[in-house]
Amino acid sequence: MYTEIYGIALRSLLISSTATLLALVWSIPFTAKLISIRHRSKDIIIGIFNTLIGLPTVLVGLVLYLLFSYSGPLGFLELLYTPYTIIIGESILITPLVISLLYEVFSRAYNEYWELALTLGADKLQAYKLIIREVISDIFVVSLISFSRAIGELGVALIVGGNIKGYTRVFTTAIALEIEKGEFETAIILGLLLFIVVLSVILTARIIKRRV
Amino acid sequence: MIVLRNIWFSYVDENYVLKNINIEFSRGITVVLGPNGSGKTTLLKIASCLYKPIRGEVLIDDINYWNLNEEEKIRFRRKIVYVHEKPILLRGSVLDNIIYGLIIRGYSRDEAIKKAHKISKELNITSILSRRTETLSIGERRLVTLARALVLDTDYLLLDDPIAHLHPSTRELVVDIVRSMKDEKVIAIATHDPLSTLKIASKVIILDSGRIVNISEPRNIIDKYILEY
Ligand SMILES: Nc1ncnc2c1ncn2[C@@H]1O[C@H](COP(=O)(O)OP(=O)(O)OP(=O)(O)O)[C@@H](O)[C@H]1O
Ligand SMILES: [Mg+2]
Repeated sequence: MYTEIYGIALRSLLISSTATLLALVWSIPFTAKLISIRHRSKDIIIGIFNTLIGLPTVLVGLVLYLLFSYSGPLGFLELLYTPYTIIIGESILITPLVISLLYEVFSRAYNEYWELALTLGADKLQAYKLIIREVISDIFVVSLISFSRAIGELGVALIVGGNIKGYTRVFTTAIALEIEKGEFETAIILGLLLFIVVLSVILTARIIKRRV
Repeated sequence: MIVLRNIWFSYVDENYVLKNINIEFSRGITVVLGPNGSGKTTLLKIASCLYKPIRGEVLIDDINYWNLNEEEKIRFRRKIVYVHEKPILLRGSVLDNIIYGLIIRGYSRDEAIKKAHKISKELNITSILSRRTETLSIGERRLVTLARALVLDTDYLLLDDPIAHLHPSTRELVVDIVRSMKDEKVIAIATHDPLSTLKIASKVIILDSGRIVNISEPRNIIDKYILEY
């Protein structure tokens, strides 16, 4: 049992951290671009992302299922019920949260550092670099918070992951299954582990935030 | 020369904070005076090509900056440096800050550090070069931002309240350094301290509510303006 729990824990961490990284990969340039818009549409766009934070996870799961199912438009990729779809799904799920949090961080940075970089002679790329260097620890905090949202979600992992033992089974899907089976002991151990992971992530985020 | 022609600028909607501004910043020192909120900072940021005017033209060496392509813009921006009213420093050491502009211009680290030491000596801040910027006092921060700008040796130097928060002797030092560059550079200083700056000014501009109410030689500045603003 314990090797299996260990496997589930490791897989969860791996899947959710990859998903977080993936979400950052597109959210960072997107938010940086968004910040530099000097137009009302900026507020509308960020408003949409703020709203999407509350997107039900099963809804994201459903949409992805329709996309990746064998008759769906992306069915040829044969990614349904693999860890990769969970990664894609979780990264999409947390993107609104990542963008909303990054937006706060970046707008503070932009108002001061963008002008500074430009007047010191930076080109756009150098200016983005400078801003990112200034906000890197804030970005780390954003990723920790987003990671804890990813690792704690059930809808996507269950629907597009399929909870396949030893392959796509993660904390949340395993817990749901064990409860269904009546194996409360295992469910509780898994639940505690998940709790510890999330708690330590949030605590780390708090500590970093206070230091900065 | 920086020429501002019929400049209008607003931060929000039609709320103009600069109204039909026409000025030339030419070789020497232009001192910009005016009450809080009169538009001095905005004016300097327009002149340093950080803000794009809503209407009007910004000519740098007779070239209309906002019509340039991105590459040319960078080339022109590198002739100009603006020093913020509120000192903004980057993470890291004082030295890292001072060499930043040189490094991105392609100077080697050694060359950049050499230049940084030279300017730090002039500004009397060599003792804090290795300090982390979070630990500096506000006056020290100001001096670092000045060093970081002066080290670039640009043709255009726009200083926003550069002597605020400085001890009288340090203020004197900064004024002297700026004065020593007045023959080679186009310098503009926004300030609330006419006493320290008018003696080095070649031209004085007085702003009020986004309009220029007076442009003149410093000796023609009527006492009343100094007292009023
Ligand atoms: N980011 C901003 N958004 C909206 N309004 C602004 C912004 N910055 C400045 N303003 C307004 O523009 C006007 C001019 O401001 P500016 O900072 O240019 O004045 P200033 O002459 O530099 O004042 P001070 O002497 O206090 O530095 C003020 O009315 C100010 O409230
Ligand atoms: Mg100002």
